[in-house]
Amino acid sequence: MNICGYYPESINEGDDLRAVIFLSGCRHRCSGCFNPATWNFNYGEPFTEQRQQEIITEMANNQLLGGMTLAGGDPFFSADEAADFIDNVRAAIPNFSVWIYTGYIYEDLIVSVDSAEYRLLMKCQVVIDGPFIESLKNTSLPYRGSSNQRIIDIQSSIRYNDAVELTT
Amino acid sequence: METRSGVSEEEEQMLREVSGLGHDITESLNVEMLRENANLNGESFSGKIGKFGSEYAKWYARYYIVPEKLMTAVDHNDLYVHDLDQYAVGSTNCIFIPFDKLLARGFSTGSGSVRTPQSISTAMALVAIIFQCQQNSQYGGVSGSKLDHDLAPYIAKSFAKHFHKGVLYFDENLPLEEHNITLGSLTLCNSHPRSYSFAVQETKIECLQAAESLIHNLNTMSSRAGGQIPFTSINYGTCTSLEGQMIIDSLLSATMNGLGSGETPVFPIQIFKCKRGVNQSPEDPNYDLFLKAVECSTKRLYPNFANLDAPFNLQYYDPTDPNTEFATMGCRTRVLADRHGRNRLSGKGNLSFNTINLVKLGIKHGIVNGRTVPHEVDFQRDLYHFLDIALNGLLHRYKIQARQPAKASDFMMREGVWEGGELLDSDESVEECLKHGSLSIGFIGLAECMKAMYGKHHAESEEVYATALELISSMRRYCDMKSEEHDLNITLMATPAEGLSGKFTKKDREVFGSIPGVTDREYYTNSFHVPVYYNLPAARKISLEAPFHELCNAGAISYIELDGNVRSNQTAFLKIVQYALSQNISYFSINHPIDRCGSCHYEGIIGDTCPICGTKETDVPMYRLRRVTGYLTGDYQTRFNAAKQAEVRDRVKHR
Repeated sequence: MNICGYYPESINEGDDLRAVIFLSGCRHRCSGCFNPATWNFNYGEPFTEQRQQEIITEMANNQLLGGMTLAGGDPFFSADEAADFIDNVRAAIPNFSVWIYTGYIYEDLIVSVDSAEYRLLMKCQVVIDGPFIESLKNTSLPYRGSSNQRIIDIQSSIRYNDAVELTT
Repeated sequence: METRSGVSEEEEQMLREVSGLGHDITESLNVEMLRENANLNGESFSGKIGKFGSEYAKWYARYYIVPEKLMTAVDHNDLYVHDLDQYAVGSTNCIFIPFDKLLARGFSTGSGSVRTPQSISTAMALVAIIFQCQQNSQYGGVSGSKLDHDLAPYIAKSFAKHFHKGVLYFDENLPLEEHNITLGSLTLCNSHPRSYSFAVQETKIECLQAAESLIHNLNTMSSRAGGQIPFTSINYGTCTSLEGQMIIDSLLSATMNGLGSGETPVFPIQIFKCKRGVNQSPEDPNYDLFLKAVECSTKRLYPNFANLDAPFNLQYYDPTDPNTEFATMGCRTRVLADRHGRNRLSGKGNLSFNTINLVKLGIKHGIVNGRTVPHEVDFQRDLYHFLDIALNGLLHRYKIQARQPAKASDFMMREGVWEGGELLDSDESVEECLKHGSLSIGFIGLAECMKAMYGKHHAESEEVYATALELISSMRRYCDMKSEEHDLNITLMATPAEGLSGKFTKKDREVFGSIPGVTDREYYTNSFHVPVYYNLPAARKISLEAPFHELCNAGAISYIELDGNVRSNQTAFLKIVQYALSQNISYFSINHPIDRCGSCHYEGIIGDTCPICGTKETDVPMYRLRRVTGYLTGDYQTRFNAAKQAEVRDRVKHR
C-alpha cells in the first residue's frame, strides 16, 4: 500500500482537527476527479512499517487532534491493509476517531459481513460515501465535493439498519 | 530655529524635501507611503490632505523636536518611533473609555450636551458618538473594556419602559412596587404574565436593533482623514446578569448578520473575555455565549479571545469590579497595571511606543557574517545602548505630552474620559493624569534575529529558544528597572508592526544584502512570533509563543492560521481556542480565509470561481478579507502594503 499525501492537521476532512492520510489507488475513475494521479496504486511512497510508526507517533503527540481521516485514492481498494493500519493506530491511541472517504456507496459496503470492506468500515466512525459526480459538484458543502455524497454515522446506521447521515 | 541671512545649502536641501513630499502626495507617486495604514485610503482627497499634515509633521519633528540620538538611530534603521507625526504636538496613543461613567452622567461634545440615555437604543447610539468624540483627542485606538457591564443598566430601563406600555395594552394594571420591574423578577412574570413577556420581546428586539446600528455606525463614521474610521474595539463576555447577557447575545447576532449586504464588519474589533467559572465550561452561566462567540468568530474572524485566567492577568482580577478584568485594545495593547495604583482599565491608556529592530543587531553580531561564534557580549551592549535611546525618546516625548494643557485634548480631559481630567482647568497641564498611562518599548523580528545570530530561529532549536526567551526576559527586566528609576509605567510590547514590518527589512537588505532566512523576505516576523512560513503543529506554535505573553506586559497576541472553511468545523476552532487559553496565551485569535463573491455576495472559500453563482474571478473581483496586526481591513490585495501582502502569501496554513 502506498500513501500519496499526509496532512498532520486539517479542518477540511471531518469534524474537529484531524490528521489526514491519502492512500493511493482507486478504480472508480470519476470524471472530474481532483487528482487522477492518485488512481495509480504505485503513486506516492510505500507506506512502510517505519513510515506508519512515524505518523502514529506524530499523531499521538499532537494533543489537539481529535482523530484521523483516511482518504485517497479510495482506501476500500486496500481494505485489509487499511484496516490493519487502523488497528496499529488504535493500539497506540485508543479511542482515536476515524473518518473515511470512499467512492462506493454505504449500502454496497455492508452487503457482505465477511468482506474486507465490511471489516474496514466497522473500524471507522464516519464514512463519506459515493462517487464524485461532476454535474453535482458543490464546493460550498462541508467535507464533500458533490451533493450526492453523504456523511454517514456508521454505528448508528448499523443500529437502525439504514444509512444515518450526520448533520453538518 | 536659527534665522540666517540668505539661503544656506542645508536650507535648500530641506526646502527640496518639503516640496518633494507634497509632490509625491498630490501625484500619488509613493504607493508605500499612501498604503502605510491599511485602514486609510491614501489616494482619496481627504487622505491626501491628511498625508500632507502627517508627512510635514514628521518632517518638522525630525528636524526640530526629536532628540538627535533617537533620530540617528531611526535613520540607521535601529529604532522606530511610532506615530512620529504626532510627536511634536504631544498627543497620546490610546484609551479605554469609561462608558458607564459617561452614560450615567451625560456628557458634552463641546458643541452640545447630552442627557443620560433612557433606553438601550439611545445608549448604544451614544456609545458610537463617544467613540467618535474621543478619537479626535488622540491618535490610536479607542476601546471599551466591558461594554456588557456598561450597557446593562439601559436594558433595565428599556425593559421597564416596555413593561409599562404592556400594562396599558393588556390591562394588567395590578398594584405593583416600582422597584420590582426587572427582567429577572419571577413575581412580575407571574403577576403580569402578558406585560412581562411583551416587555421581554420588545427589549430583545430593541437591543438587537441597537447593536446592529452600533456596528453599522462604527463602520460608517469616516471621521478621520482618508475616509478612515476610528480604530474601535469592544470587549465583552463576562456580565452574567440577564441584561448583560442580552447585550452580548445581540452584539454577536448583529455581527453574524453582517453589514448592509451581509458583509463582514471591519470594525469594531471585538474581544470576548474568557473567564473560568463565568463562560468556559458547560455549567458556567455564560458558556452558551462563549459558544456563540466561537460561532461568530468562525464566520466573521471576530471576536478574538482575551484570557482573564492567565496568572499575570488574574492577579488584578476582582470579581466584584469588572474594571479589573483584563481587556485589550484590539491591536493587542495591554494597560492593566499601574504603579500609581490604578490597576484597572477604564480611564487610561498607552502614551506612546518605540520599537527596536532586533534583526539588525543579530546581523551585526551573529554568525551570519561568516563568524564562527556570535558576539553575544557585543550584542548585549548594543541592545542596552538602543534600549536606552528608545527609553530616553519615550521620556522626552512624555515631557511634551505631560506639559500639554487639558484643553488640547478637550473631550478626553473635560469629560474625564482620561480619569481625573475633569478636575483640571482647561489651561492646566495633564501631567498628573498621564502618569497612569504606559510608555512602551517594542521589538520586532525575534525570529530573524536568532537566525542571524545562531543560524536557527527559536522554533528550530531548543537551545536557541531558551536564548530567545532570555533575551526577551532581559528586555522586560530593563523595563521593570526603568519603571522604578523613573516612577513611570515603562512596559515591554510585542509590537504590532504594520507599516514597519517592511520598512526595516527593505533598508537592512540595502545595507546587508539578501540573507536567507533573515532579510530575504519582504517583511520581518512580528514580535516573538514563530515565522508564518515555518511549518509546525498548531499546538506547538501555541506552546512556543505562550511564555512570551507574560513577558510582554504592554501586550501581545498569538495567531493560528487555518486554511479551509472553519464555519463548518467549530469543534476544531473551539478546541484550539481553549488550548491556547490553557497555555496562558493572553490574547488569541484564529485567522482563516473569508472570501466574498463580487457578484452574488456569497461568503466562504472561493477559488477562481464562485461555488454558488459560478462567476469567474477574471470577470468580477473576489474580495479576500484577511487580518493584519489584529485588525481586519477590506480586500487585502488592494489595501495592504506590499510587505503585508507578501506576508499573507507566505503564511503556513494549519489545514
